[in-house]
Amino acid sequence: MKKLGIYIHIPFCVRKCKYCDFLSFDSLKEDVKGRYVNALFSEIKMQGKRFQGYEADTIFIGGGTPTVVQAEYIAEIVECVKENFHLAEAAEITIEANPGTVTPEMLEIYRKSGVNRLSIGVQSLDDKVLSALGRIHTAEEFRNTYFAARHAGFNNINIDLMFAVPLQTEEIWEKTLKEAIRLKPEHISFYSLQLEEGTEFYRMYKEGRLTLADDDTDRRMYHTAVKMLKEAGYHHYEISNAAKPGFESRHNMKYWQFDEYIGLGLGASSFTGGKRFANTSIMDEYLAFYEGMGTGGCPNFDVLCKNADPVSGQIILPQDTVEKNTEADSIFEYIFTGLRLTSGIDLARFKSIFGKNLQDYYPDKAAYIKQMIASGFMFCESGFLGLTLSGIDISNGIMSEFSEPYITD
Amino acid sequence: MNSYQDKIRNFSIIAHIDHGKSTLADRIIEKTGLVAERNMKEQFLDNMDLERERGITIKLQTTRLVYKAKDGEEYIFNLIDTPGHVDFTYEVSRSLAACEGAVLIVDATQGVEAQTLANVYLALDENLEILPVLNKIDLASARPDEVKLEIEDIIGIDASQAPLISAKEGIGIEDVLEDIVKNVPAPKGDADGKLKALIFDSYYDSYKGVVIYSRIFDGKVKKGDIIRLMNAGKKYEVTEVGYYAPGPVPTGELKAGEVGYICASIKQVRDAKVGDTITLDSDPADAPCAGYKNPQSMVYCGIYPAEGEKYETVKDALEKLQVNDAAFHFEPETSTALGFGFRCGFLGLLHMEIIVERLEREFDLGVVTTSPSVIYKVVMNDGTVRMIQNPTNLPNIMEIDHIEEPIVKADIMIPKEYVGSIMELCQDRRGKMIHMEYITETRVQLHYEIPLNEVIYDFFDALKSKTRGYGSLDYEFIRYEKSNVVKLDVLLNKELVDAFSMIVHESKAVARGRFVCEKLKEIIPMHQFEVPIQAAIGQKVIARETVKAYRKDVIAKCYGGDISRKKKLLEKQKEGKKRMRQFGTVEVPQEAFTAVLKYDDNK
Repeated sequence: MKKLGIYIHIPFCVRKCKYCDFLSFDSLKEDVKGRYVNALFSEIKMQGKRFQGYEADTIFIGGGTPTVVQAEYIAEIVECVKENFHLAEAAEITIEANPGTVTPEMLEIYRKSGVNRLSIGVQSLDDKVLSALGRIHTAEEFRNTYFAARHAGFNNINIDLMFAVPLQTEEIWEKTLKEAIRLKPEHISFYSLQLEEGTEFYRMYKEGRLTLADDDTDRRMYHTAVKMLKEAGYHHYEISNAAKPGFESRHNMKYWQFDEYIGLGLGASSFTGGKRFANTSIMDEYLAFYEGMGTGGCPNFDVLCKNADPVSGQIILPQDTVEKNTEADSIFEYIFTGLRLTSGIDLARFKSIFGKNLQDYYPDKAAYIKQMIASGFMFCESGFLGLTLSGIDISNGIMSEFSEPYITD
Repeated sequence: MNSYQDKIRNFSIIAHIDHGKSTLADRIIEKTGLVAERNMKEQFLDNMDLERERGITIKLQTTRLVYKAKDGEEYIFNLIDTPGHVDFTYEVSRSLAACEGAVLIVDATQGVEAQTLANVYLALDENLEILPVLNKIDLASARPDEVKLEIEDIIGIDASQAPLISAKEGIGIEDVLEDIVKNVPAPKGDADGKLKALIFDSYYDSYKGVVIYSRIFDGKVKKGDIIRLMNAGKKYEVTEVGYYAPGPVPTGELKAGEVGYICASIKQVRDAKVGDTITLDSDPADAPCAGYKNPQSMVYCGIYPAEGEKYETVKDALEKLQVNDAAFHFEPETSTALGFGFRCGFLGLLHMEIIVERLEREFDLGVVTTSPSVIYKVVMNDGTVRMIQNPTNLPNIMEIDHIEEPIVKADIMIPKEYVGSIMELCQDRRGKMIHMEYITETRVQLHYEIPLNEVIYDFFDALKSKTRGYGSLDYEFIRYEKSNVVKLDVLLNKELVDAFSMIVHESKAVARGRFVCEKLKEIIPMHQFEVPIQAAIGQKVIARETVKAYRKDVIAKCYGGDISRKKKLLEKQKEGKKRMRQFGTVEVPQEAFTAVLKYDDNK
């Protein structure tokens, strides 16, 4: 059976962090959360019918902050997925948790519902940095959450860290890393701060109130992290991710390996059947459609008719974008996502998917690739083409070179 | 006396750029009722978009108008428009040769300018009756009395009766028309004599072949005649004659005193050059019209297809332009940096800019142009002489005895407060002052001899910038002079990029080299490695800059599987690269080639 990853979006937060441009709301009334979860049930039920030929082997409940909704809701969501999709026996089920919003009781409920992986967004273990980021918790609160999760039986925990953020010296970053490693989580993500439009940081930067680390410092911090994590026995498997062997995030791997996944909930992205599409990002639109369908599992006839395409009669889902991949799209995506993995692109798998060798699609890039290898930015070994550590620093430029594969009819 | 000639007035309008020539032409056309007002595009005679945009007339249009004068008679006006720029002096002089009179427009707010003078001298050379007109009289800053005195002092013609007009507002147009009737002499010439007609313009029409604009001085020409072009020595059969009003109106014949068009299945504009004389093959005139010149290219540059553009497409476009422009020519050349392209010759810098812009706009082509160059006379050790216009072709320095460069006589007119800075500019451009005169209390004319190679880079831009737009320039070639010029090369990542090579005076080489390196440093984006930029004369590096390698170009996070967003980002990055030119491992944005030539205000 074909495999499927399921992403479920919970777009709520206690407070929006200053760097965050993800889809989440911090000022919605409590009842919206309940209505949203109900609408989500409808979507799960509807999509479940469309993916009967698939086995779902990962679920990832992300946000926002999934832990700001009642733990019972989460349990019901997982239950609902189990009822409507074919869930694999050993499925990886992750939930994102933010310190300060999660109690031992909630962790207990998650565990019981079948959630077996916890991703804690702590970002820093320095209180000054945390406060500069606009986080609502302290390092101490994080430690409490972490140990509570261990106590609740979570034996697969990720910690999210950020570097090159305001007030964070290289010393502080090293200290944060050291402490994180000492806690022995199975997985550590480490992201460099990205300034995104629409965020508080962006505004501050424009107004000259935010000083960012220069590129050299940013890269030193990155390479320090890679080195320390490797020395501590972590496998640096993706640009920003490291895990104890065997604990690589199976769900996230789907994004990098051109595997299929369905995104449920507001604004969630999907890739199935060669199409990339995303749900609407407008809460009212989402609620109107899925609340209208009722929660009985049987789609409401009136809503379906109202949203049916007048020509084809097909249901028009409340989606922002639907893009059918061309062959060129798929090849480019396969390559640039694959290059995010430190193992590189599996050239044999590439050929089995697209029918031809990678170099046949890029006849004019042979010299370029050769030069990148000679300069130490790429490697090509045992059937894998990938980026070296210094190649990662300049990966956008390299990836973009593959944007136009040569397709013959 | 032939009565038909009494009612003909052949005239031009001459002016400095922006003094309102085309606007007055519009008003005259409107007044004579030729074109209904509502059908008129602004500035009727300027029929190329480019001209309209720059507010200058490049290519002439000639129109026949009928004016009912206050004396009750109908007069035929042949309005022969002239191009308004220094690069086209010869074309202007031929158009003027077709007239008996010229309306001289002077901006009543600005007074006499360098080109006003240049054009007046051309008109006086042709013995034209000059009718001064003061334009822009509606503006508060108009000072007609002063400007009248200026005209009398500087040009030496009576301006006391000059009509005061506003072409824009339509004020005083009738006065101008009456002035033309009264003061422009009627043409003379023997309609029964031997055919003698002057070609003063031509253009290519895909159905009729070359359409010649001509002034008939003596004799007649009609359909079926076998004509001979006296300077080119070629024969053609006339297929159509007529006049423009403003569309073509075929007539049976054109006779002495008239102005009109002649078609004779001529394939290229080059074959019917401006200034040549048409006569009948069977009964030729004794001598051609005086003043014929073969247009000479003064400025050369390489034109190459931009990335993604095809050689053949560019070649087709150049051919089409050449068919219509006798002064422009090109031949294939190759550059190690830019591949296959063309070496093109132009009358001057503006002519070059116009051709390049037309390629881009009318043909929608992307092209890269190399540094413009003049023609150097290279005298070899063995005494032979080579004319070199491509820096790359400069022979080995050891084989050269000396090099000579073209010198132009430059007449610069400026308000007096800028004299200091313009003299400084001219000195910096190796100019030699011949003399300086106060033409009014506030206006100064500077006469300089300047190497043309100093004029073609950015002299005009600098002049405009330093005089807040009030300075004007007119120049013409006078002679070749021995000069210490050297070839300046540019190396990117240690590789010579021949498209950047230029010939400069030894004394300017270091400054120029530094400027080019600095400019390129600004324009060339960061690479995955350091890119040294060097300027060198032979093996000797005289300036150096470095483009730093970028350190970070990576997206840390792709959240929630939103691959599309990242894909778009990478595609955008790739698009940016496409506008680049690849030299070895270095990517150079297309605009680098023009940017290194531009005048920099801060320098």
